[in-house]
Amino acid sequence: MRGVVLVSGPPGCGKTSWILSRLQEHRGPRVYRRLEGVDPEGRPLALDGGLDQAFLHDQIPDLRELADGSQDPAPEAEGLLALIELPLFGPEIPETLALGLRPDRHLHFGRDSELPRQDTLVFGALDSWSLDLVTEVWDPASVNSFWFELVNGAYGDVYRAKALVNLPDGRGFLFNWMVSCSGTQFLPLRSVAPPHGRPMRLSRLVVQGKGLDTAGLQTTIADCLISDAVLELQQAPRRSQGEPLPATG
Amino acid sequence: MAHAVLSCLHANLAALEAVLDDIDRLGVDTITCLGDLVGYGPQPNEVVELVRSRGIPTCQGCWDEDIIEGLNACECSYPSQLAERRGQLAHHWTAAQLSPDNKDFLASLPLSLRRDGLVFVHGSPNSQHEYLLPDMEAFAALERVVSAGADMLFCGHTHRPYVREFREGSIELRLRRPDSGPGQESERRMDLPVRRIVNAGSVGEPRHGGTEATYVIHDGDRDTVEIRQVPYDVERTCRAILAAGLPPPFAWRLRHGFEYAERADDASHVCER
Repeated sequence: MRGVVLVSGPPGCGKTSWILSRLQEHRGPRVYRRLEGVDPEGRPLALDGGLDQAFLHDQIPDLRELADGSQDPAPEAEGLLALIELPLFGPEIPETLALGLRPDRHLHFGRDSELPRQDTLVFGALDSWSLDLVTEVWDPASVNSFWFELVNGAYGDVYRAKALVNLPDGRGFLFNWMVSCSGTQFLPLRSVAPPHGRPMRLSRLVVQGKGLDTAGLQTTIADCLISDAVLELQQAPRRSQGEPLPATG
Repeated sequence: MAHAVLSCLHANLAALEAVLDDIDRLGVDTITCLGDLVGYGPQPNEVVELVRSRGIPTCQGCWDEDIIEGLNACECSYPSQLAERRGQLAHHWTAAQLSPDNKDFLASLPLSLRRDGLVFVHGSPNSQHEYLLPDMEAFAALERVVSAGADMLFCGHTHRPYVREFREGSIELRLRRPDSGPGQESERRMDLPVRRIVNAGSVGEPRHGGTEATYVIHDGDRDTVEIRQVPYDVERTCRAILAAGLPPPFAWRLRHGFEYAERADDASHVCER
């Protein structure tokens, strides 16, 4: 696959996973851009908070990003693959959405046969909630319990949950869960934070659902995040022993 | 004669009332309780007072001990920071709620009870905090039964009911003194009669995958053990949890048959404070 390809589809249909696979197998310049979708019927599109973008950049360190949608990557280097991700329920691009670029092709999940067929949700009116977790580090056993509670309905009817979480040993994971899919994807980041203080990479939790208990979510999350003292306890042995960082990816 | 054994009530009044109704309906009038009357649940005084009013012989559980001693529910065995924070909150709430009289009652409870060849403990004969899980290494499990001098050892603490039987068990000892020569060994073999461990499960915080309260009925004449599962008004307890200001996930977990705190990775862990 080459050229500039617009990839659209409803939330949770697998756009990012498909895009990651195509970019990973491409030998040549790679460009990615995520556009904010607009639904004519007002249905909420993916609240992402930059998670997909951060994950793709972690997985493909030389991935270039279009500075904005008005920049046309087509004239650039030969063999370039530019994938533009657009959350969109139907295949028709709304007139109100100014792409500002000229894709060579437009592929839409559910319409085009070269994309995988996956069940997707028809979202109605959903609450969206997001929490910035930059510099925060989770107690591993606690995040396991929290995620179990979250996706099983302890904080409301959750339809979708996604998070980039930091662990005390420097690893990071993308958690990706959708009510229509079985199980959660736990995808390790390639980059490992050094054992010196708090990690600075993007970290966030995004949740879409109905009747979300956001106060309860925040209370539980606060009980899962470790203090400076606990983090130091876990990082100090790795510093003094020169222990190699755990491999991921 | 049949007798009922219950454990791990965890301040769940609706569950205890349903179990006692079930026992009464079956015409069983001997009841033994294996402790953990309080902890996590919303009605500690009511549960203690019901046990006291029925005159049920009771041994002390880990939560009963921790509330009295101020040990904060053995925080060293919590499996996660989240479980520890919630456990501490439940501990402080329970300690503040319990009347002095009920605290004195919990403090007075024995660590074990014995009736003929039957021994009753909360966790194991070694400690209220030790878990006798159904897949515990057989020799170690049998050792707990034999060391307690029990034909049948009743325990709780794991919240999962089970009956484990040890048949044709034997222990061989071979002793040689440091200064003795080859062949100067003394040997002893003990063939053990059938021994059993019976775990009564949990009335107030079941961990068998469902929401029903569990307890056991042992019939000594028929040599049978029946694990009973009793439905109760779970929503009543959930409402009480929320009204008490305990963590709302406690209500959600109880309603879905999940334990309040996840199990420790090392189930054989014993607090050595």
